[in-house]
Amino acid sequence: MNPFDIKTVLLAKHAQHVVLIHFPIALFIMGAAFDFAARWSGKKSLATAAYYNLLAAAVATLPTLATGILAWRIALEGEHLKGILLMHLVFAWISSLLMWLVGWLHYRHASKPEVGLPSYLLLLEAVGVLLITVTGHLGGFLSGVNGPG
Amino acid sequence: MKNSLLILSVVIAAVAGSALSAPKPNTLRGGASVSAQPAQTAAAEVKIDNFSFSPATLTVAAGTTVTWVNHDDIPHNVVSNDKVFKSKVMDTDEKFSFTFAKAGEYPYFCAIHPKMTGKVVVQ
Repeated sequence: MNPFDIKTVLLAKHAQHVVLIHFPIALFIMGAAFDFAARWSGKKSLATAAYYNLLAAAVATLPTLATGILAWRIALEGEHLKGILLMHLVFAWISSLLMWLVGWLHYRHASKPEVGLPSYLLLLEAVGVLLITVTGHLGGFLSGVNGPG
Repeated sequence: MKNSLLILSVVIAAVAGSALSAPKPNTLRGGASVSAQPAQTAAAEVKIDNFSFSPATLTVAAGTTVTWVNHDDIPHNVVSNDKVFKSKVMDTDEKFSFTFAKAGEYPYFCAIHPKMTGKVVVQ
């Protein structure tokens, strides 16, 4: 098996969801960290870095959600979810909505600087990081990253 | 009259002898006995634990009902490679049973964790 073969990447016998999920997680956490640092230091370059990271995180949720839902609809034939699987799905939707909201607030400010960023934005980002952590923990638990599977 | 009595005693002795020597049904040597039971379907179990099926390969006779029991904290399911059987997602301690009527090999996997594989060999 050649790791650089495009067929290996696209048709590998593993769910793409568990690969793609790392992008929105990392981008959002770094974006939030940059935003906190930008507010604390007042550096515009950090605010710009936060903007692009948070925007990229919101975009990266789309393929992640799509592959997660496809895995549910295809691998599990869309059966009624319960337990950890249901919790993972619910937390994933809430996290994604929050990431889209944060991304939109930053985008609106970048497009119309006179609008300004809301004072509660950092709180939203902190809650977002917390929700992503819970969602990722549940996903990791499901995928068995700590087990032989 | 004397001959008739002789013939009668021989017949009685023959009937009594055959009755004593005939094998008794459901009696084993040594006095143990078994009661007649209707034919039962054989059963076997596969444990799901620590992201693996145990035994990974199970050999059973045709007509056997195999039950998978999830002892893991993680949800799993059981899907035949040939779509012969497919369970719903099983949470901890939930079970799924399937009766194998035909001989053959039935490889299967967990759709949530495709690296988890097993096989049922039906003879």
